[in-house]
Amino acid sequence: PLASKHQTLQQIFITALTYSKPRLATFWHYARVELVPPSPAEIPKAIEAVKGLIRSYQTGRLGQTTVKDAIRNGLVTTEVLMWFYIGECIGKGGIVGYDV
Amino acid sequence: MVPPVAVSPLIKTARWSALLLGVIYGKQRFDYLKPIAEEERRVEEAEKKAREEQERIYKQLSEGNAESHTAFVCLSHEIRFVCFNANIFMFPHSFSVSAANSDTILK
Repeated sequence: PLASKHQTLQQIFITALTYSKPRLATFWHYARVELVPPSPAEIPKAIEAVKGLIRSYQTGRLGQTTVKDAIRNGLVTTEVLMWFYIGECIGKGGIVGYDV
Repeated sequence: MVPPVAVSPLIKTARWSALLLGVIYGKQRFDYLKPIAEEERRVEEAEKKAREEQERIYKQLSEGNAESHTAFVCLSHEIRFVCFNANIFMFPHSFSVSAANSDTILK
């Protein structure tokens, strides 16, 4: 029984590995392009984009966004804000609550 | 497979700076909360010890005083309440206070 338990654990490990490998590969394939931090060359572009946003708010073009665009931008903003909470989890060393 | 999307630099910087800010905020709040929690644990320990002391005395008295139940119970409630409030400031004195009260009961 102990030997067979060892065998089943090994089987589980091997199946997990074969299951996750291609999925990890696809994840890496997308993450390499989409989730990388901005290179130093891209930061001035980001500042430019912020200025563009402020300008569009001042000229009133921001009121002309379609509902579809507004919802899409809202979702993107929410996703960006959620990264803050992931950072907080990393900083406090736990997922739920502070481990004091 | 769909080719990966080229994410705008604004979103990229916003994401990673939000992550960084979150890590910093989490670390600072943890460092702020840690000594407060330790202090609270210490106070709770001291109060728990005092309370257990009171209960031990209460049990001793109730074992010695099987007759005067009702009066004893009302009085001991006050003892507990008074001593619990007093213990926050006068932990070493609590013994003498409860000893004095037990004297008046036995009379």
